Amino acid sequence: MSPLSTALLVLLAPLASAVLIALFLRTRGTAASVVSVAAASFVALGALVLAFGGERFTSSLEWFRLGSFAIELGVKFDDLAALMLSIVGVVGLCVHVFSLGYMHDDSAKARFFGGLSIFMFSMIGIVLADNLFMMFIFWELVGFSSYFLINHYCHKQSAADASKKAFIVNRVGDFGFVLGIILCYWKNGTVNLTELGAGHALVYSRLVPLLLFCGAVGKSAQLPLQVWLPDAMEGPTPVSALIHAATMVAAGIYMLCRIHVLMVPPAMTVIAWVGTLTALYSALCAVTQRDIKKVLAYSTLSQLGYMVAAFGLGSVSASMFHLTTHAFFKALLFLGSGSVIVGCHHEQDIFRMGGLRARMPVTFWTFTVAVAAIAGLPGLAGFFSKDAILVLAFGSNKAVFAVLALTAVLTAFYMLRLWKIVFLGSARSEEAGHAHESGVSITAPLVLLAVLSVAGGYTAIYHGAFNGVFSGVPEAEGLTHYFVLATSLTVLLLGAGLALAFYATDGKDALEERAPGAFGFLVALRASFDGAYDYYVAKIQQRVAMALNFLDLVVLSGVLIRGFSGAVEILGFGVRTLHTGRINHYVYWFLGGVVLLWAFAAGIL
Amino acid sequence: MTPSLDSYVMLSAALFAIGFLGVLVRRNTLVIYMCLELMLVAATLALVAFSRFNGTEDGDVFVFFILTVAAAEVAVGLAIIVALFRARQTVQVDQLDSLKH
Repeated sequence: MSPLSTALLVLLAPLASAVLIALFLRTRGTAASVVSVAAASFVALGALVLAFGGERFTSSLEWFRLGSFAIELGVKFDDLAALMLSIVGVVGLCVHVFSLGYMHDDSAKARFFGGLSIFMFSMIGIVLADNLFMMFIFWELVGFSSYFLINHYCHKQSAADASKKAFIVNRVGDFGFVLGIILCYWKNGTVNLTELGAGHALVYSRLVPLLLFCGAVGKSAQLPLQVWLPDAMEGPTPVSALIHAATMVAAGIYMLCRIHVLMVPPAMTVIAWVGTLTALYSALCAVTQRDIKKVLAYSTLSQLGYMVAAFGLGSVSASMFHLTTHAFFKALLFLGSGSVIVGCHHEQDIFRMGGLRARMPVTFWTFTVAVAAIAGLPGLAGFFSKDAILVLAFGSNKAVFAVLALTAVLTAFYMLRLWKIVFLGSARSEEAGHAHESGVSITAPLVLLAVLSVAGGYTAIYHGAFNGVFSGVPEAEGLTHYFVLATSLTVLLLGAGLALAFYATDGKDALEERAPGAFGFLVALRASFDGAYDYYVAKIQQRVAMALNFLDLVVLSGVLIRGFSGAVEILGFGVRTLHTGRINHYVYWFLGGVVLLWAFAAGIL
Repeated sequence: MTPSLDSYVMLSAALFAIGFLGVLVRRNTLVIYMCLELMLVAATLALVAFSRFNGTEDGDVFVFFILTVAAAEVAVGLAIIVALFRARQTVQVDQLDSLKH
């Protein structure tokens, strides 16, 4: 089988699964889950075969043509796509298998697995797309499927609101994205990624990359459109793992890496700072969260900020490397939290957990690996990728470096806080006391992801399959190396030590107890964006809408339309009384006409 | 002495006015029709007078045409009135108001 047909099968298998489930298996949850997991397994297998088979190719065909403007559908399978496809395949499979256990008793299991399949299809479409139009189509499909999955518990008002929020906020970013695509086409005459990359005479502009970046700001939840991501935790936990580890939020970073040839230095600076500030802001927000998934959500935001910052500092490699390792340990964290939530009978408040170390050993150990990885313990995946970004920042922008190092302290701090409160101490609620490890479909993905979280940082394990991406990962030499290494270790020890010393396992938030001022500030900081948007929507947008409505009702329909019709009506009423139907009445008009004519002839008029 | 042009023109204007007044106030279609003819004759009279006093034939030529047309008009107009009476059993314009009703 040719690589192209394998790639197409990988793309279409989840679609086939989704269609099959939507048409025939809506009421048969178990059958639907089997179909969906089979499709995901096929995707994972196909992705690995393609990635490690060594074939790299591009292929496209014309979809339709309007004059000189043609839209193409195509596949561009380079090292970047191979890497991304492998991540999506492997993490997607883990999430699917995990869902078998997690969603076992769900009443809408078929819908859920159908949603997972359509999500996989959309994401693979983005990965394989060879031009921006095609990417945009799948981009919107990802938006739709995330809406669909976040809204899984649609009887809950909060879930319905969260899905709407995610959808609408993403549309805001996508509007910029589509403008960027159009502008790019207008300036360069093509949006084909291969043609853009292959020394095409590019017209550089600041606007094009910044508009395209808008799309990434929405999808990858950067400031100021980050508000949807924490709320998206209303979805089932496997969905959170899928959306926030390997797919949707990664799509924004991936898209940036695809179009890096269009970048210009001023745009890169903006991107780097947006990423850096997102990283810091989200890390600060994460410190006060009580909901286990919300902590992870903010940490996702923060890590995405790292990737965007790395991209902005000019290294696609560092960005994608962190995306890769992050996909593994963040999926592991989410699935681990899912396991904890199942174990504690859907308790999500970390202060009502505790003491899970003994009761859920597999979850505990795998979660510990993930926490160590994200905090940057040397030897684990997160250490290498974060180190690469810090080296990059150290070399190019000291201010960014300082903020990212501070963020790393916070990362270690809030992750260790989470870890200590959830797993150590003693159980602080009935549910936590009766917690137990779940079945193999839940623990197996955890173990696989834990292995990847350890090994993922050693590029040697990829056998050079992704050299096109990873060969550019920045490596420090000499003094810089030691300085950055020392910074990483200091940061880790500082953050972790502070968290372990500061937080007690007594069911109270130590920060809230001891420093209510700081705690209140962080809570207010977290709420500031939502508050600002609320204010904007309720006070400004709503009023503008009311004013426009008033204009529409009074000026347009009232005065203009109704006024004209009224004037004509009155005129008609007047003229109607003149219409008597008697011939001699009309003769008077004739007389009037003659008089008028005479007056005109006589020069009076 | 021969009457002046003014006398002719004033006679013509008086005839036209009488005809027009008749059209305005009379109710019988036949009488209105006769009044119309009177107005036509008033115009003819003025043309003949102008022709006579100017010593040219232009006015006379107009008169011939007017007489021809008037003859044809009478034939058509009277036929219409007869047909109208057959259809409506009346020639009073007050009752001929189907333009409106």
